[in-house]
Amino acid sequence: MKRTGGLLALSASLALVGGACGGPASAGPMELTVFAAASLRDAIVEVERSYEAATPGLDLVVATDSSTTLRAQIEQGAPADLFLAADDRNPAALAHAGLADGPPVAFAANWLTIIVPSDNPGRIETPRDLARDGVRVIAAGDEVPISRYAAEAVTRLAALPDYPADFAQRYVANVVSREENVRAVVARIELGEGDAAIVYQTDARAATGTVDIAIPDEANIPATYTGVVIAASAQSAAAHALLAWLAGPDGRAVLASFGFGSPR
Amino acid sequence: MTTPRTRPGLVLVTAPLVAFLALPILVLVARAVAGGGLLEAVARPAVISALGLSLGTTAVSLLLTLALGTPLAYLLARRRFRGALLLETVIDLPIVLPPSVAGLALLLVLGQRGVLGGALEIVGLTVPFTTLAVIVAQTFVAAPFYVRSARAGLAAVDRDVEDAARADGASEAQLFRLVTAPLAGAALAAGAVMCWSRALGEFGATIMFAGNVAGRTQTLPLVVYSEFGAGDLDASIAAASVLVLAALGVLVSVRFLRFGRALDTRGG
Repeated sequence: MKRTGGLLALSASLALVGGACGGPASAGPMELTVFAAASLRDAIVEVERSYEAATPGLDLVVATDSSTTLRAQIEQGAPADLFLAADDRNPAALAHAGLADGPPVAFAANWLTIIVPSDNPGRIETPRDLARDGVRVIAAGDEVPISRYAAEAVTRLAALPDYPADFAQRYVANVVSREENVRAVVARIELGEGDAAIVYQTDARAATGTVDIAIPDEANIPATYTGVVIAASAQSAAAHALLAWLAGPDGRAVLASFGFGSPR
Repeated sequence: MTTPRTRPGLVLVTAPLVAFLALPILVLVARAVAGGGLLEAVARPAVISALGLSLGTTAVSLLLTLALGTPLAYLLARRRFRGALLLETVIDLPIVLPPSVAGLALLLVLGQRGVLGGALEIVGLTVPFTTLAVIVAQTFVAAPFYVRSARAGLAAVDRDVEDAARADGASEAQLFRLVTAPLAGAALAAGAVMCWSRALGEFGATIMFAGNVAGRTQTLPLVVYSEFGAGDLDASIAAASVLVLAALGVLVSVRFLRFGRALDTRGG
């Protein structure tokens, strides 16, 4: 008796799990899973609100992390329908591997800035101060898009007059922590655990208790946010529609309200 | 069993470790309570949905462990066979393994490109990065805690009592249900509680194998991590406080099951 009961409970729970994971066959709203770059975290909430309002019967499920982490998860079979990256490399890599449905679409642009805690413990006045001895710089992991943009900006800064020739090496030497994604970098600065960090302007705008130090235009790098529909998606038509909406006037208006620009 | 008089020197020596272990948790809870925003933070959608997901997945992984782990514990407790020691070592391995290693290993087996990925695809079952993956990760890391405790409890049951019941005509199933299991009840229950708490706290294997999707694979420990990473310290502290309360509940219930008291008297 007891054994049978246990087996019944076991099979019932397995059926329950199976049901929960069953895709489009289940009744109710259609779920569209969106994997989005960490820097889109605030904007995507508003995108979700407006797009769900405009598209009855659709429920967006959103996961945010570093674009590179999300790409690795998709490569391992994570069931995403749409991938919104903070660069064009990660979507291109998926397309190259045959994991994308259709070409990547650029839908937004972002720029870089430096943030410091409001009390500015590192006394950062210009980007040049990032290379001063003893300044605690927070960065993201090497493979995270923000780090590649930041490295490019640092290289360009080093080429400017009145920047030391070894500016880039000194910047790297000052990095005390490498975070999972750009939002974790912002959190460290908000908590005062670092003196400065290079982040996206949209992150700086959403951060609390931080002050911006501008990066000169000639050294600033535009980040091109690119989306791609995942080949394994069972709802690729809906995913294409959302990507087109994002890249269109309605999506751009929402993204612009968070400080994102239009891609070139 | 005489209680030695406590010496002031001993207290001084032990104080740093006690303070070190207690202070972080006290500060976390104090911050959650004093902030005043705890209830509001607990009510956030991310925390609420993670709480539901955590309770649901740990319930299923506990059921799976009880159903599959009890026969295994019985086998290990009752039968002598070649390779028993090796089997016990294999079963205990997840206890000492870093959870991220467990997550990676699960991905290599059950992932879409894993050794069983093709077979699962034929059946139409996708495991990685789904709610099912959360349950698999929890069961993998937590089941050994139950099997260990259950094996010890079942091994401690007096064989004479079982033989007497057999002599009175009890079938093997009746014997287990009416004699062995009740006698080992405290150890079985304590093992189940430890297994559940380990599953509830599972982080590393989950984030590697199941990812971090709100409402689908984002359990409470993942909320602690993601909300902190996203700069929402209040939500992170709220989720952490729920887990501290659950952990306290676990310790109290394990003590209540007299498993802890046996350990106490041994030291006294």
